[in-house]
Amino acid sequence: MVTIQDLAQAALNPSPVGLALAVLFALLIPLFLHRFIFQSSGLTTLPSVLLIGPSGSGKTALLTLFERGNHAPTHTSQTPLAVECSLPVGTRAGSDKYRSVNDPTNQAHKKFLLMDTPGHGKLRHHAIKNITNPQNLKGIIFLVDAATLSAGDDALRQTADYLHDVLLILQKRNVKVLKELPVLIAANKMDLFTALPAALVRSSLEAEITKVRDSRSKGLLDSGIGMGDVDDEKDDWLGEMGSKEFKFSQMEEFDVSVEVSGGNVLGGGGASVDKWWKWVSERL
Amino acid sequence: MLDTFEILTTTGVVLWSKSYAPVNPSVINSLINDVFIEERTLSGAGVGEDISAANNPPYKHDQHTLKWTTVKELGLIFVAVYRSLLHLSWVDKLVDNIKTIFIDLYGDQLKKPHTTIVECHFDEYFDQQMQQLEKTGLGTDSRFPDSPFQHQESRFVGISRDEPPPLPELGGKQENNTLSNDPTANELNRASSADNSRPTTPAGHLLTAKRPPGGKGSRRARKAANAASAHASSGEESHSKIARANKGATQKKGRKWDADGLADEDSDTQLDYSAAANGTTSDQETSERTGAVEVVDQATWGSKTGKGQFILKDLDDQVNSILASADSKKEDSAATSTGIVGSSLSAIGGLFRNVVGGKILTKEDLDKAMKGMEDHLLRKNVAREAAVRLCEGVERELIGVKTGSFESVQAKIQSAMEASLSKILTPTSSLDLLREIDAVISPSALSLQKKRPYVISIVGVNGVGKSTNLSKICFFLLQNKYKVLIVACDTFRSGAVEQLAVHVRNLKELASREGGEVELYQKGYGKDAANVAKDAVTFATQEDYDVVLIDTAGRRHNDQRLMSSLEKFAKFAQPDKILMVGEALVGTDSVAQARNFNTAFGSGRSLDGFIISKCDTVGDMVGTLVSMVHATNVPVLFVGVGQHYSDLRNLSVKWAVQKLLSSN
Ligand SMILES: Nc1nc2c(ncn2[C@@H]2O[C@H](COP(=O)(O)OP(=O)(O)OP(=O)(O)O)[C@@H](O)[C@H]2O)c(=O)[nH]1
Ligand SMILES: [Mg+2]
Repeated sequence: MVTIQDLAQAALNPSPVGLALAVLFALLIPLFLHRFIFQSSGLTTLPSVLLIGPSGSGKTALLTLFERGNHAPTHTSQTPLAVECSLPVGTRAGSDKYRSVNDPTNQAHKKFLLMDTPGHGKLRHHAIKNITNPQNLKGIIFLVDAATLSAGDDALRQTADYLHDVLLILQKRNVKVLKELPVLIAANKMDLFTALPAALVRSSLEAEITKVRDSRSKGLLDSGIGMGDVDDEKDDWLGEMGSKEFKFSQMEEFDVSVEVSGGNVLGGGGASVDKWWKWVSERL
Repeated sequence: MLDTFEILTTTGVVLWSKSYAPVNPSVINSLINDVFIEERTLSGAGVGEDISAANNPPYKHDQHTLKWTTVKELGLIFVAVYRSLLHLSWVDKLVDNIKTIFIDLYGDQLKKPHTTIVECHFDEYFDQQMQQLEKTGLGTDSRFPDSPFQHQESRFVGISRDEPPPLPELGGKQENNTLSNDPTANELNRASSADNSRPTTPAGHLLTAKRPPGGKGSRRARKAANAASAHASSGEESHSKIARANKGATQKKGRKWDADGLADEDSDTQLDYSAAANGTTSDQETSERTGAVEVVDQATWGSKTGKGQFILKDLDDQVNSILASADSKKEDSAATSTGIVGSSLSAIGGLFRNVVGGKILTKEDLDKAMKGMEDHLLRKNVAREAAVRLCEGVERELIGVKTGSFESVQAKIQSAMEASLSKILTPTSSLDLLREIDAVISPSALSLQKKRPYVISIVGVNGVGKSTNLSKICFFLLQNKYKVLIVACDTFRSGAVEQLAVHVRNLKELASREGGEVELYQKGYGKDAANVAKDAVTFATQEDYDVVLIDTAGRRHNDQRLMSSLEKFAKFAQPDKILMVGEALVGTDSVAQARNFNTAFGSGRSLDGFIISKCDTVGDMVGTLVSMVHATNVPVLFVGVGQHYSDLRNLSVKWAVQKLLSSN
């Protein structure tokens, strides 16, 4: 009893130790909180660009190209990957548009995080998570293998399916978290002679997404719906309601701008990814 | 001979590779797809555990055999590819040794976040291992590196310098005298450690050899030196230096050789490495190196040096010490147990961390919780085999993983199991039946394919609801205005055709409302089902049907005779989709059912999907879904959820996982 009283007294006395402790706490707590909250809010992270697309489209190859300037050999990815890249000399980040040419910050190359995700059907949740839970996300590059997109090809169907799902998630996203999100459809492997030109990639994807959209609306319901387990989902129609054909321009209504441009990571004449670099630099 | 050896990350980047013959990247891709992503290898569940390559089942693809091992912590995969025709007994050892060496050398670099770049100059280490193991593979002694510190100086005594290079087998053992008792040998090693590079980068060792001889630095320092020296080599320069070095070497050789005994022999025997590998260059290198190293040796060790080969020797030493320390570490961790104080302290810490998070999970932490998870899955009607494998997979995945802040072990397991279940149930490619049908019945003008009907056949054991589910699919197709032909291929069980006729009558009635058309094709009883199916498809093509739905006789999956007739059936009917109906109620049997049906169609053909019927009757116990998919890697296409024609659903993975993990 006595000891407790003593302790209490000691603690409440204006002793130098007590004071020092109090001051220390008062100083440390905000710092501590700041660290935790600031870190979790993702404000400290670099601006990021997400690479998605079906397996084998060249995402990892492109990532290594952006990182090192030449591509590394790659195989199917199983886990996502984020690397720090910097814009190459000669490009300027979009946010630097109004800076003076002599501004010293121009000297330092703008850094960003490039995030690669596995394209395998079973592993797409990594990509989806990055979209639904974005960390300073500035843009999405959807890579497609332009050499496999000819009409009637199974790859075209699979690619359109994935793209449809991604666009639908973007359409239904929480606008407060993610205001606008540009998407670049990068038609890769232009070095192959079977590759479709970018304009054709665009039109065949649009046509195929139209089919996906129709078939989804006519398809069976998902298990759980209407069985009292899950409430009915809200409307899953991509793009403009009642439109007969899907066009990427319909996504603008949802602040998602879609661009298509071609390029190649490998190839006889070296890589040609300037357009994609330019696109990336404009988003930063 | 090896075709290729690759070191790659789970993120898909190849860090280092060496190939002796071109190998299509698809070979390793299919290893990744089948073994790591889809986990198709049923036997030897080694995936995710960092075990020796010998314990991982070899993967065969397209005339190639792949031996592999992983390092989960760093996300690394080591793969050796060779022709299946060859029998290379040493490949397992090679893969394991390379793994050990690579991690030791570059482990720190691999942990760096946000980069894929690993500065590695690994060729020399790899070549050293290749030569060594190939040699031991040829000879009988393949004990290296289990007995690294035997065979000491006694072996070298008596081999005179004038003798021809020793036989290759000897070499496999002799590099191991790092810790030789002989002081001169030790000194020698030290001297040579100032310089380590391999013979193919001559300029490199010239440069480093001239460094001050205090080469007692740590292995790490030597590593750095090595990396630098490998860089320094460049063709032109090296040639001139070799020439110069040669001049200096020859004349000094004579003086030195008679001066020393044992040490000389020692280095002499080392020669056989390069002598065996590349006889022509070794001479040149030998003399060149002597010249270079002379500077060092004369200052410090007098005239103790023999001729050359320190470089190789030192590389050997380094590699051996890496391998040896890895071995001893393994033994240590197996043998040591922390004292009572230590363990109780760590137990308290463990309890604390259990609440706060940041705990590194061990097998003991997980065991009990995993048992609980297994029982939970069994209660959900997951077959024991599938439940055990799922839990093993999750356990392997979690061992060594740190829990997040304020995350309990239980929660960690729960979320890992959720991920694991979703991964299993998620199909590899999207299953959009309507679009697939459209692609077949109205092929694009470019694709040169003729229009033909889309054929679906339904199989399954007796009484699971084949005809009912077939009718449900038909109703769905009618709603989408297709012209459907239903074929009665159950020519076996009396009443089957009539039952189907009733369904068709109902569907016709519905079709008049919904649109679409439906007809029944039947040839009575006793006919061969395969022939009936074939005729029906021909008929449907002529009559311009869109979809052919074939109902087959129910059969026990262990009825050899009936099961074997399925192969002929698949060949004759050429179905686009073979769907198997399984009952949600079935328990342990589900695995065997799925497996037997999946293999019944002969090689090159398997099931395309499951329809799991009567899901409405089992509540949360939808374990059959998992069991069947787990046994075959065939996705679930539809689930039946009621008595009506409209009670057919796509499988929602989220829904299924939620049900499987819900507790009650
Ligand atoms: N011809 C050609 N091949 C390319 C090009 N870009 C990538 N490839 C090849 O495409 C293959 C697949 O590339 P990856 O980068 O591994 O594909 P990915 O998109 O990462 O695939 P996942 O990791 O499975 O999702 C590799 O063999 C590349 O060499 C290109 O521009 N032209
Ligand atoms: Mg990849």
